[in-house]
Amino acid sequence: MNVIKAKSFTENGLDTRRKFSFGSIGVWTALFLLIGAPVLCFLTLGVSPRLFQQGPEWFTLKYVHEAFQGFAGRAIFNSLWVATVVSIFAVSIATSMAWVIHRTNIGARRFWAVAMWLLLLLPTWMMTLGWTDLLQPVGGLQALGINCSYIYHEFFGPLGIVVVLTTAALPFSYFIITAGLQGLGPEFEDAARIHGANKIQTFKTVLPIISPAILSAIAVSFAETISDFGVADTLGYHAHFPLATFILFKAISSYPANFSVAAVVAAVLILSIVPPITLQSRVMRKNTFAVLSGRTRTPRVREFRKGPRVLATTIVATVFVVAIGVPVLGAVMTSFISGQSFYGGHLHLTLLYYREIFNPPSAGKSLGTPLLLSDQLGFVVASCTGAFAVVMARRLVTKVGGLSQRITDIFLLGSIAIPGVVLAIGYIFFYNLSFITHHVINLYETLPLLIIALIASSLPGQTRFMAGPVSQIQPSLSEAARVHGAGRFTAWRTTNLPLMSRVLLWGWLLTFTKTISELAIATILFPPSQEPASVTIQNYLANFNTGAGTAMTVMTLLEMLGIIVIALGIYRLVTPRGWRRIGWRGIQS
Amino acid sequence: MSNETARKASSVHFENVGKTFGEKDALNNVNLEIAPGTFLVLLGPSGSGKTTLLRCLAGIERPSRGSIFINGTPVAGEGGFLPPEKRGLAMVFQDYALWPHLTVRANIGFPLNNSQLSKPARTDRVDNLLDRVGIAHLADRYPNQLSGGEQQRVALARALAAEVGLILFDEPLSNLDADRRESLRIEIATLTRESGATALYITHDQSEAFALADKVGVLKQGELVQLDTPEMIYKSPANAFVTRFTGVSGEFAIKQFKKMGDSLVEVYLPFAPDITVEATKIGKLSKDANASLFVRSAGVSIFPETNEEGIPGEIRDVAFNGRGYEHVVKVGAAEMLTKVYSKHRFDRGVNIKVTLDPASCFAIDPSTEEM
Repeated sequence: MNVIKAKSFTENGLDTRRKFSFGSIGVWTALFLLIGAPVLCFLTLGVSPRLFQQGPEWFTLKYVHEAFQGFAGRAIFNSLWVATVVSIFAVSIATSMAWVIHRTNIGARRFWAVAMWLLLLLPTWMMTLGWTDLLQPVGGLQALGINCSYIYHEFFGPLGIVVVLTTAALPFSYFIITAGLQGLGPEFEDAARIHGANKIQTFKTVLPIISPAILSAIAVSFAETISDFGVADTLGYHAHFPLATFILFKAISSYPANFSVAAVVAAVLILSIVPPITLQSRVMRKNTFAVLSGRTRTPRVREFRKGPRVLATTIVATVFVVAIGVPVLGAVMTSFISGQSFYGGHLHLTLLYYREIFNPPSAGKSLGTPLLLSDQLGFVVASCTGAFAVVMARRLVTKVGGLSQRITDIFLLGSIAIPGVVLAIGYIFFYNLSFITHHVINLYETLPLLIIALIASSLPGQTRFMAGPVSQIQPSLSEAARVHGAGRFTAWRTTNLPLMSRVLLWGWLLTFTKTISELAIATILFPPSQEPASVTIQNYLANFNTGAGTAMTVMTLLEMLGIIVIALGIYRLVTPRGWRRIGWRGIQS
Repeated sequence: MSNETARKASSVHFENVGKTFGEKDALNNVNLEIAPGTFLVLLGPSGSGKTTLLRCLAGIERPSRGSIFINGTPVAGEGGFLPPEKRGLAMVFQDYALWPHLTVRANIGFPLNNSQLSKPARTDRVDNLLDRVGIAHLADRYPNQLSGGEQQRVALARALAAEVGLILFDEPLSNLDADRRESLRIEIATLTRESGATALYITHDQSEAFALADKVGVLKQGELVQLDTPEMIYKSPANAFVTRFTGVSGEFAIKQFKKMGDSLVEVYLPFAPDITVEATKIGKLSKDANASLFVRSAGVSIFPETNEEGIPGEIRDVAFNGRGYEHVVKVGAAEMLTKVYSKHRFDRGVNIKVTLDPASCFAIDPSTEEM
């Protein structure tokens, strides 16, 4: 036996039971400064504007009434019904697609799974832009001589908003449902059939097993939709169909800013996500749905005959054409079509807009510096968020975390529902308080504040994203490493990291690309003369320089895709083969 | 065991070790000494604390009270806690705990990563272990390409790789089918003893414990109730719990008993008041005690009804087990004796006579047990 050295005697073991520790205090302080304090201070203004010198009243419900009247009231109503409809549509389509892609023999199954990731990376304002560019009176289809004025009028309203937001919510629902389907082995279906159930009865029996996944997908789709700013700021605004996030932005960007009404609207948005999350939590508490075990058999693949197979493949392909093909095609076409095409009757293709990207006319800005800044922001935010999210996810999934863990879980779940625009306004307000700027830290109108806000915005979602894979790693794997001689860090590096590497990479890429395309926080918090790419593009589009705006959008999208390809390539080259065999099945398949 | 291997075996000492989870005591004042080279099996039902005790020794759990020593050096106790990687031990996990991203060869070689061995020496040792556990042809496969038995062989080889002085086994056979359990049990016994290491093995299976152990410790609700050789545990159980857990054919209320000496009693059963049964007295038996007679299956014999001696009974069930027949015998109104072996088959419904060997009968008053 090796000689045991007494100097190591005071080191900690693997026993993870803990009461409130310095770690907990650190995590809570960070969460409070990142999310809690800015949002709570901002929301307080809705009923007590005097508390922060924003009005004469210590307590009033005046702004609550005001928020539900007129334009603001309409926007809240619109947001609520749109989010409800979108979440139902998205989950219904996602459930069907998850089943068809993972449980049948339709064509190009792996390609569809990758396409879903591409859809996830596409920001809603880019989707809107593509659709608009294609359908508008001076758009791509008209340049090709196709009259689409009827579709255009229908699209520029609730229908278009629901279509774009449904396609945007689709991947979130799809990945959650897919993870649920992975655990649904054929034995449940077999048991029902053997005991006399027909196909419909079998479906009714088996479906509740994935009900937590379905409810989770509804909650996430609702939260993503109601907090979206990209569609509200573009399609919603141009179609005169107000949505709550746009009203929020208007309330604080107009002069004088009306923080109190904005706070009430923000509170309504956050509270609106409580019912779906509560429903999901109740279902999860009442029953156990743990169906994944070492004995879970590989799900059975239903073999379609040729006709149904072609039909199912066509339907899936159509969904992706609508979700990705149309908006991307619209943006790409517009970026190459000269303005003369709409007036001369002939199609003129040009590279002028692409030249303008890096050599803009005197009044315009180059995309180079903003895109470089966005890349840097993306790198820093994705790296910091990834590291913090792993720590948080480990805390969430520990079996014996106690009260601190439970509170953290609820807090992070609730934080997913905080729209970026609310968080950004909270930051503007909180980090501009004289007490903070004079006695704590002065970050107002600085790049670090934008970075912190972007991290705060990504962290809740990233943590939930990581929590699933982290919880799937058996503790005995790292225990085995420790028992066989590996130290704490070595055990994590050699056992947990390889198993999480793929999910870490995708999490990093997701945050990176979302940061580059993020609009709400960037628009509200960018420091003077340090404009991120998404803001630059929006400025071009707002000034009706559609050609240059779409060219910049295409370039940004290409750059994002290029970085994804490079990152995946590097991962493939530098990681051992064993690492690549393992991974989150939702990603892998 | 060679002198060389005997030298490296570890001694283990638990001193008043306790472990509390929330309000529940999983371990309570466990005192246990394991001599170097001993194969000790801890036997107990679910929730008896055996896994907790093993994990405390491994360093995966911290004891709430008491101290643990390996080779006389404290590894857990009031003074501090030595992390698992510095305790110089190896472990075979119940769920195998093989790293899915590493090949079989890399899994087995993992404990050698921090050793002073040269790379060729490591490779030799891994190759040797692959041969010894019979999976050399699977060296480049990944764990999910192996069967349960093959995976457990990899886990066993990994535990043997670093040639440590102490190997822990956490119910390593519980996920395997009967055939594989038997063959792997033999390999564990052989290879572990060949290594010369001290072994602590936990199981809830009495036959597995008796087959493997030099010594068996029986745990109940976090307390060590008996520690002895398998033979002594079987022949002289400490109390009703140990007797039941190590296998009884029947348990009957005693109508009356009479002392015959310090350890022997004559008992009378309600369903056979005219027949005297001799039994070993375990613990205290008071006159008004609600004592029971515990009968080991090895001490039960059955004869045709025409036999002069014996308790009358009726065959309720019979099963062929390869070398003979196991019977279920009804004696009295509802009392049953199970696993009654006979070379000859007695059909269901046949009346027979049952005789009991005094050495396999224990008179115990369960109510006098502290726990």
